[in-house]
Amino acid sequence: MSAALTASNLVTGEVVFWGADGWKARFADAEVFEDPAQAEAALSKVQDQRRIVIEPYLIEVAKEGGLPVPVSFRERIRALGPTIHPDMGKQAEGGPEVQALQAAHGAARSSGRLGLIQRKA
Amino acid sequence: MYRYDEIDRSILEDRSAEFRRQVERRLSGELTEDQFKPLRLMNGLYLQLHAYMLRVAIPYGVLSAAQLRRLAQIARTYDKGYGHFTTRTNIQFHWIKLRDAPDIMDALAKDDLHAIQTSGNCIRNTTADPYAGAIADEADDPRVWSEAIRQWSTRHPEFSFLPRKFKMAVTATPQDRTAARMHDIGLQLRRGREGELGFEVIVGGGLGRTPYVGPTIREFLPARHLLSYLTAILRVFNRAGRRDNAYKARIKILVASLGREEFARQVEAEWDQIDKARVDLPADELARIRGAFSTAAFETLPPASERLEAARRADGDLDRFVRNNLGPHKVAGYAIVNVSLKAPDAVPGDCSADQMDVIADLAERFGHDEIRVTHEQNLVLPNVKLDDVPEVFAALDAAGLATPNIGLAGDIIACPGLDYCALANARAIPIAQAIGRRFADPELAEKIGELKIKISGCINACGHHHVGHIGILGVDKKGEEFYQLTLGGSGAEDASLGDVLGPAVAYAEVAPAIERLIGAFLEHRQDGERFLDTYRRVGLAPFKAAAYATAD
Repeated sequence: MSAALTASNLVTGEVVFWGADGWKARFADAEVFEDPAQAEAALSKVQDQRRIVIEPYLIEVAKEGGLPVPVSFRERIRALGPTIHPDMGKQAEGGPEVQALQAAHGAARSSGRLGLIQRKA
Repeated sequence: MYRYDEIDRSILEDRSAEFRRQVERRLSGELTEDQFKPLRLMNGLYLQLHAYMLRVAIPYGVLSAAQLRRLAQIARTYDKGYGHFTTRTNIQFHWIKLRDAPDIMDALAKDDLHAIQTSGNCIRNTTADPYAGAIADEADDPRVWSEAIRQWSTRHPEFSFLPRKFKMAVTATPQDRTAARMHDIGLQLRRGREGELGFEVIVGGGLGRTPYVGPTIREFLPARHLLSYLTAILRVFNRAGRRDNAYKARIKILVASLGREEFARQVEAEWDQIDKARVDLPADELARIRGAFSTAAFETLPPASERLEAARRADGDLDRFVRNNLGPHKVAGYAIVNVSLKAPDAVPGDCSADQMDVIADLAERFGHDEIRVTHEQNLVLPNVKLDDVPEVFAALDAAGLATPNIGLAGDIIACPGLDYCALANARAIPIAQAIGRRFADPELAEKIGELKIKISGCINACGHHHVGHIGILGVDKKGEEFYQLTLGGSGAEDASLGDVLGPAVAYAEVAPAIERLIGAFLEHRQDGERFLDTYRRVGLAPFKAAAYATAD
């Protein structure tokens, strides 16, 4: 299962994703880890970034029309913005990556967040 | 209305300065998130799906025009131009940045607003009848006692670390518009046989995972002893309430496990120990608070307004608005005007900054400078002259605020749900919009009559689904949004918890199922019955048959 690394920006609360050389605002710029060990390594690497982000965690990623999308509906809403306000949040800019996220369906909340149980323990 | 004095203002200034320093220390890395989180939560600042959310307290739901304008300014300057009124009669801003939060607190404090005790295991904002001081048959003005509770409970050192959060409601008429029996403490003001003032004290109601209709532990508490009696209740809770499991820590669990009689006995025993003279509100302070609420000068007017009646005959929309959104006022020639935040495609409880300004202007020009927030996520102009209603209606209508649906099918409570909230399992707002669209025809809505639909996106029940005539609870069923329907709940004076209809239905099936339920109601209804009355008379079976008629 592929994974991406997400968090919230400390200063703004904005949703961010770990990309090639740092935190990115767009899910389209998220680095997709095919190897679980790489994903875990990325997560441990950002644990000391407490002045930059809050609560980093890994999410499951699948392919939708050839493009990566979060498996969890909750994570897709984070990556897009509120479903009731298409003009708000990251979805406002549109484009094929946003459309792929909007086209995906299923998995409301319980799935798609990796290591949740370990994390809470 | 009550205005803050120097003591109140110094509390706000101190808190604002303290919070600014805490935010600086967090941003500099001096505080970790684990250290900072409880501090920001004590100031109403949550982290949600898209940004920080700031919950601002609106004590007992009362706002001045200046305060509402201040909220509009916050919405415009620091958010995306709107705010969301909650079932606790507070307001939430959903797009807040941590770096702006200290400036927001300072701006709020300029108009006596704050976010103190809008989160955490403390005494939260007390809610009151939104018609307080304007409705005819009240035993006393609930705002007076709610203000006393606010002063007493603000930063109360003994009750700042309770087992769990604690919510109170005060009401004073036979009709309950506060859901008093669903609170940790519900206070019903009553007059005794000699005309003396007292409270019926209800303890241990609540919604959430384990809902209870609160039992009465004392039929009549002399009003002057309110604060000492509340102290006794909270001491018993603080001492005996569970702290090992957040889901079992509310006072409702304690009351249910001890039983009403034993809980009441412990409260009375504790109360006997208290030096009441030291805790109860002094008579002169009560008089000072009461004086602040009795300044509204009403004119002597005839009970009916020729001007309004002529305008109603000429304008069917105004006539419908008057029929559905006006309540009788205690003073002849005045009305209570309800402002619906439930236009068919609106987000329940959302209000734009421009709309806030319109309502603030109307309150100032026509409404004695007062606005109320209801737990059903609407606003109220409690003191409007009947002669002025046509003008108020026209201004509201121009701002999209004159939807004539108070108490009707489209007047739906919905929590923010999965569109914003970090706790939600499913969306609530688009469900409300889909149902609202089906009952947007005002004639149909009036034909159906009073119908309270309440939607929560998770079991925490911020949308009060347990006490909806029709309740809708979002659940996560194998990773998909599903919705459990309940029927027959009520948060009013005839309080009851809804019964589960059957298996949960899929997202797209909710609005059609509600439409079929209402179809069944219209079929079985007898003269003048509300949905709730028919349900209570005929039971679940015909509704169950209708709801699942096509879904299988």
